[in-house]
Amino acid sequence: MKRLNRFGFTVAILVLVMSLVLAACGGKKESNGSSASASGSAPASSDNSGGKSGSKTELLFWTPFSGPDGSFMKSIVDNYNKQSDKYFVKYQIQPNGDYYKLLDNAFGTKKNMPDFMIMHLDSIPTYAKKDLLLPMDDLAAKAGIQKSDYVEAAVDYANIDGKWMGIPLDIHPLIMYYNKDLFQAAGITAPPTNKEEFLAAAKKLTDPSKGQWGYVMPTQWPQQFLFPSLVYQQGADLADADGKPTLNTPAAVAALEFEKSLIFEHKVSPQKVAQDGEVKLFLQGKNAIQFNGPWMKDQWDKAKLNYGVAPIPVFFDKPGVFAGSHNFVVPKSQTDPNKLDGIGDFLKYVAGHSIDWAKSGQAVASKAVLNSEEFKALNTQQTEVAKEFDYVHFAPPVPNWGSYVGELWKQINLVLLNDGDVKKALDEAQAKAEQAAAANK
Amino acid sequence: MKGSLRSRLTSSLFVLPYFLCFCVFLLYPLISGIILSLQNNDMLGTHEFVGLQNYIDIFTPGTYIHDAFFRGLWGTVKFVVYSVPFLILVGLALALLVNSLNARVRGVFRTIFFIPYAISATVMATIWMRVFDTDSGFLNLMLDKLHIHHQQHIGWFTDTPWVWIALVVSTIWWTIGFNMMLFINGLNEVPEELYEAAKLDGANAWNRLTRITLPSIKNVTAVVMVMTIIASFNVFAQPNLMTRGGPGFETTVMLMNVFDVAYGQHQGGAASAMAILLGLIMMIVSAAVYRLLFRKEA
Repeated sequence: MKRLNRFGFTVAILVLVMSLVLAACGGKKESNGSSASASGSAPASSDNSGGKSGSKTELLFWTPFSGPDGSFMKSIVDNYNKQSDKYFVKYQIQPNGDYYKLLDNAFGTKKNMPDFMIMHLDSIPTYAKKDLLLPMDDLAAKAGIQKSDYVEAAVDYANIDGKWMGIPLDIHPLIMYYNKDLFQAAGITAPPTNKEEFLAAAKKLTDPSKGQWGYVMPTQWPQQFLFPSLVYQQGADLADADGKPTLNTPAAVAALEFEKSLIFEHKVSPQKVAQDGEVKLFLQGKNAIQFNGPWMKDQWDKAKLNYGVAPIPVFFDKPGVFAGSHNFVVPKSQTDPNKLDGIGDFLKYVAGHSIDWAKSGQAVASKAVLNSEEFKALNTQQTEVAKEFDYVHFAPPVPNWGSYVGELWKQINLVLLNDGDVKKALDEAQAKAEQAAAANK
Repeated sequence: MKGSLRSRLTSSLFVLPYFLCFCVFLLYPLISGIILSLQNNDMLGTHEFVGLQNYIDIFTPGTYIHDAFFRGLWGTVKFVVYSVPFLILVGLALALLVNSLNARVRGVFRTIFFIPYAISATVMATIWMRVFDTDSGFLNLMLDKLHIHHQQHIGWFTDTPWVWIALVVSTIWWTIGFNMMLFINGLNEVPEELYEAAKLDGANAWNRLTRITLPSIKNVTAVVMVMTIIASFNVFAQPNLMTRGGPGFETTVMLMNVFDVAYGQHQGGAASAMAILLGLIMMIVSAAVYRLLFRKEA
């Protein structure tokens, strides 16, 4: 009897454990199921008795906006949902750092796929070449969206093999931030626009005895934006027309030599700058100028800095700046015509209403919004950023480009830390990039 | 007969939950990892079986993955060599210190030393980047006040060997609580009578430590050592967030490269092969350490 009790007890525990495990699995399956039905052809069939959202087609929308920018996109989505009686955009923020991991997982397992999502412009070639993205041409034509509605640079880039693969939301180039108080104290009235003005200002602003620097040179991020900008300003690029890396060209050498000279020759930057060192010094008012992305605005505002924004100076022959861009893309697996109409409807709405996104500090890619009085009335950052739109460049349209230049950033880091040999370092980066190209079957 | 069958069934049922979890969370991922390493898999839905090609590539000089593997391995091994002795010695020292406190404050200090272990990697990195930054970091500003390295700051994250010191110190701060707890548990197991007897025989504190404490906690030490070695081989967050693998590729550890190959190159098979080789190396090293510690008894 006793033994039987114990046996019964064990079975009970076991049933409990099993039911927990199964419940977890079941939960997962259920969510798979709902997403499967969501991507099926039937409109959302939830039985929200009388609920208005119940009769709307739900569109699952993924974004990587886990920073302060998330709420700005949310207000666009909320406003859209309020005015649409046919579609309901379900806004889902994924953690920024894991975004492409999660996206790759969804593509790889073909489970939990969003109906449409945000993708960085320079990631589009990687996914387009794998035939994972749906060309937007038909969707755009049906919704009345035209290429001429957006800034050319982004549209041209997303035009892959004659098909339009992504509709741009914004373009975020490198921009110049400067500390207005330090500028005033040094008697500088306007932000520098070329190399001579930049050097003169940076030298005036540098006072090592006070630990104050004209321009603190980053040795890691955001070199990914800075170094290519200096190359573009010489009319060169980091890859040729065939997508072969060209990292040791004379232009690349000149770009890195210039960066190095700011530390070791002109001495307007301290040595041995660690990751984010230039940001920390800028926040402390000990770095007068820095180049960074528009997304830094929030940090400066919170620190109550008195800062100005201006386009990147022209250090070489012509204006040029590296930029990223957020784009809307649709996975190839999305074939439900009703949903595609809904996505088109939403994107058309965004093109007219992305002013909310501009409020996050970004300059948007929709010309209608760029030319609106409302946009021009925003504080200076957005309009200064938009000034660079005529000469923005994006990363070479090569699949997995990031792995080509991994070595480049390490070599730049070493040169800037150790006063190293520029040509030798870039030759090394070029050799590694060619290895990566060979592995990129 | 019936009873013994039932009892055998009962005992197997006790193991079943663990066995299920083992299958779901260990065996299945391990087997799929091995299968993945035999494929050319872009992690985006297309894959083909390539046999041992990924492993062959790793051992073929001049390939992208060869350099990724061996450079990463070198970085990881350096971290293991520099960090493990300190993680064990400091953990043991803290355990001895905390245990020698009187019972009322012991719990307080145990908690204080354990708190960093519960902190997320990002927070840990933010804290230590503020301490170790070259120009605005707390440490260098303190050294300034003492007029040490005033002219040229130490690049805690940008120069060797400082970068390793910075990584080891922040790792100790972040994870030492765990080792300390294991050692405290081990120390509590040592019979009090041994110490009393030793005291009567006139053994001093050092003798009591080396003759009684250390031999008594040998099992715990072995466990701590193996776990620490495994944890240090798996180092990722500290260099990834704080040094970004710099200066150059000095602190670019294996898992950073596995990540790069998997998600930067979209070569899931090659990345998996790297991870499995790393796992094998960890197993061999752990087994060797375990053998070494128990050689006398065997």
